[in-house]
Order: sequence, then C-alpha cells, then structure tokens
Amino acid sequence: MRVIIGPRVIDAGSSLLSVLISPVPVAAGYPSPAQDYFDGRIDLNEHLIKDITSTYVVRVSGDSMEGAGISDGDELIVNRALEPKDGSVVIAVLDGELTVKRLRITAAGVLLQAENPNYPDVRVSALSELTIWGVATRCLHHV
Amino acid sequence: MSKPAVMRQMEQIAHVDVNCFYASAERAFDPSLEGRPLVVLSNNDGCAVTRSPEAKALGIPLGEPWFKLAPRAKEWGLVARSSNYELYGDISARVMDLLGRYSAWLEVYSIDEAFLGVKGSPEELRLLGHAMKEACRRHVGVPVCVGIAGTKTLAKLANKWAKNNPAFNGVCQWGSVPAPVREALMAGLSVIEIWGVATRLTKRLNAMGIQSILDLSRADPVVIRDRFSVVMMRTVLELQGTPCIPMEEERIGRDQLIFSRSFSTPITTAPDLRQVLSVYGQQASARLAKHGLQAKVLTAFAGTSHYNPRDTSYPSVCIRLPMPTADPVLLTRASHALLPLIQEGVKYARAGIMVTDLRPTGNQPPLHLFENAHEERGIGALLEDVSRRYGRGSIGLGHAGIRGGPDWSMKRDMLSPRYTTHWDELPLVKAA
Repeated sequence: MRVIIGPRVIDAGSSLLSVLISPVPVAAGYPSPAQDYFDGRIDLNEHLIKDITSTYVVRVSGDSMEGAGISDGDELIVNRALEPKDGSVVIAVLDGELTVKRLRITAAGVLLQAENPNYPDVRVSALSELTIWGVATRCLHHV
Repeated sequence: MSKPAVMRQMEQIAHVDVNCFYASAERAFDPSLEGRPLVVLSNNDGCAVTRSPEAKALGIPLGEPWFKLAPRAKEWGLVARSSNYELYGDISARVMDLLGRYSAWLEVYSIDEAFLGVKGSPEELRLLGHAMKEACRRHVGVPVCVGIAGTKTLAKLANKWAKNNPAFNGVCQWGSVPAPVREALMAGLSVIEIWGVATRLTKRLNAMGIQSILDLSRADPVVIRDRFSVVMMRTVLELQGTPCIPMEEERIGRDQLIFSRSFSTPITTAPDLRQVLSVYGQQASARLAKHGLQAKVLTAFAGTSHYNPRDTSYPSVCIRLPMPTADPVLLTRASHALLPLIQEGVKYARAGIMVTDLRPTGNQPPLHLFENAHEERGIGALLEDVSRRYGRGSIGLGHAGIRGGPDWSMKRDMLSPRYTTHWDELPLVKAA
C-alpha cells in the first residue's frame, strides 16, 4: 500500500494514490445489507491535512524526539500556517538546518527541547531570534 | 489626490511576484542557502537563469554560462542548483492558491507572478498587500513583493519600486505615494524599464525626445499610436491611469507556458472542469509546437473564490511527463490528473495548467513511434517508475537505453531533492 499525503504527485500513466478502505466485506452471491450506507472512502488528506497549501511533509533523521513518539525515519505533517505555541512540536532553523524540537515558551525564556535525555536543549534569548519553519501536527510512525 | 471619493470605489490591480523565484524556492527547504550567493542553472546546467541578491552583488550577469562561473565558485562561496521544475511548479501553485484567496479575479501571469483585482481605500489596499506578502512568506516560505495601482502597467511599475526601495518594505500602493515622489521616480527610470517596451523601440522613443518613463507618460497617445502601434498607445494610457490591457488567459515565458483564467460563472462539476482542462491541454500543445518546444512537467490547478469562505478547495497536481512532449493527448491526459481531487458541488472560480521544464524539440522522430507503442502497454509508466527508483539511465529501451536518449543524457548534476512532490525525496529534519 502506498499512501501519499501532502502535495499530490502523479506520474502520467500510473493511477492515484488514495487509501482504499472498504467498509463492506464483500460476499459473493447476495447484495450486502450495508451497501446503502457506503458513502465514500476515508480520505487521509481530508482528515490529516487542514490546509493543503501550507502543509508540507518532512522526514525525521535522528532519535532526539523519541519521547514525543517521533522516531528516526518517521514522516511529520507540518502546517506552516499554524502559530507556534508553548508545547508545539516545531521545525526550527538551527545553524542552517531544519531541526525538530519541542517549543517551550516560559517566563525564563524560550527553549527548544529535545525529548531524549541524551540530547541537550537549545536556549534562545527571544522568540524573535528564532526562525520557526512550521508546526508539526501529525507523526506518521512506522510500526 | 483631487478625487478620493471616486478613487475609493475603483477597482485596482495588484501585481505580486516572488523575489528571485527559483532561488527562493530552493532556500525554502534548505536554510543553509540563506545569505549565500546562489544561482539556478538552465536545462542541462547551461547558464545562470536565476541569481540570489548575493549572486547579483558579485556581479554575475543573468545568463552567464556555468562553465565560466564554476572555476571561481569556491572562492566566492557560490552555490549552484540545477532547475528543479517539480519543486518550482508546486511552490508556484501554492503561491497562486494563496493569492487567489485575496481576489476572485486572478490572472496567473507567469510561474512566479500574478495580477489580482482588488478593491478598497489606499490604506486597506496597502494592508492587503502586506497580508499577501506575509501569507506567502509564512505559509509557503517564499518572499514576494506587491505593487498596487489602477492599471497593470502601473502595478508592475509599483512592484519594481517596492522591490528596489527598502522604504516600501515590499509593498507599494501607488495611490498613497505622493505625486511629486512618483514623478521623481518615473523621471529616474528609462523607458526601457517599462513593461512591454523593447530595446529596439527605446531608440526610436529616445529619438523623439522620450527618455524617461515620465516622458512617455506625458506623450500624446494618438501621436504614439501613429508612430508606433496600438500596443504602445495602451502603455501610454496605462501610465496615465487608464486601464486598457485586459486580463489574459495565456502567457508564454522563457521557460514556462501558462493557461489560466477566472470563470465568470463558477464551475461545480468534474466533467465541466475536464472540458476546461482539455481546452488548455490542447492550447498548450499548439503553443509548444508553434515555438518548437516540448515540456517535461505539467502542473494543473483549480481554486475556489475567497468570497466563498464556506467551501474552500485548492487542488493542484504536478506531473512529470514520461518524456518531453508537445502531444495534445498526453498533455490533456496529464491535466486530467487534477479531476480526482475536485470536490463535486464546490464552486471553482478558476483553473489552469502550466507547462515547465521546456526544451527545444529535438531530432527524435523515432521516439515518437516508440511513444505510441509503449503507451499502449504502459511501458512508459514502468520505465519512469524504474528510473525514478534506481536513477536516470538505469533503464531504457533499445537504442535509447544503450546510447542514452536526449532526455536521459540531460545534465542535472546539482539538482536538489523534489521535496514536495516525491515521497522518496522529502526534506530531512534533524532530530539531534
């Protein structure tokens, strides 16, 4: 199964990419009594993506966010239109790289927190000095 | 200044374009490129087609061949990227989607610029301009500048000033600039800077004593029509504030072709949209053929009007064609890939297609035969799939496979990932 979320791409000649979940176990021979209730497939785009125009999908490299349930190789759905808040999992620009951390805004200052004791937090003097690339809304974890 | 009551009611035109579009699209996903001189190269890594401000500051001219730049790249810290049309097509569609939320009247003018019909007081329009600028920066990740004026020509001019004059902070609303300042700015710009005036005509205008844009705006439109053309007369009238360049549905640029329009009556069904897309697919084919070009990437898009906030839908698809083509069937079929994303019953206010990654039609008639044969058996899709997974040149048919056909041999050595359109090439974020 191939699930494609985010900007949709199609190669001419191949068919599209939506997740098919049949609500009806198909029994041969007689019509299913549930047939009348079938009103479309579940569309992950509809449920996982609020605004396709400002949504990007990124892939995680590293294990510093394990505590937040984000593992190496997972994909994150990132909405750039969202306002980052205290507690948001954000994609921030650190040393010219896109980095995923948890944003902490407290009276003591702004902190980019790792969710793994093996990694240090990053302290930022002010929110204005930080470039937040986007706010992660979902993690597509490989099980 | 003299007739504010009338001005307030008039429809104005906003011209929005992305600063150094290709370079900005690259930077949106690679922050390490921020602040560095960056050039994006044409097909086959030929020459610099886009320069970041830092690259311009180094004095690199537009169109400079890469082989001349490469030896000094290291010393300058210059970074080069191959043209990544899938990325640019998708970013462009996102920008246009966003802009479409600010006006039901949107003309996609090129891959990185659009005209929009807007209304409001000068202050409201200035704020609108800043809202659009901020939305493009935050939601998509690219910087834009905005010019707002009563005509397309003036809106373009206002945008140029917004870009070049930091005082405007990226947004210039012509009506709020004091008249003496406007005149001084126009007096300081040569007619060659004006939209639609070619170098050849500049000489003839100069011979008539018309040097600056201000001179041209003060010329007699009728005299200009008689000596030049209706087109030039329109430019004069537009500079004087009379709108006379209508919305256009079709645009050819150096490296893209766009067909797009806002509908007078919204389209609500996939079959209707199929018709629209088919017309555009065929128009694109005819245009490409006329200019001896073939396209490799097609982007199709549609959008609802901002004035209908209940049902919003901005579907777009970016399709890499199995081979460079100007074939109407292939282009039309590719554009139809948008249809499954259309929500029945939703009122679409506009739609369009854009073809990019253009290249001259090569001497490849054999490819054409082979195209039809493999089309039927789906070999094209298979080839594309295999090369996508294992790299270009990993598979090919017969002669093309061994020798490397014209497309397989394309040089794109410095290509960035297709971040937004390929699952295997998503941007990496560090968790460290």
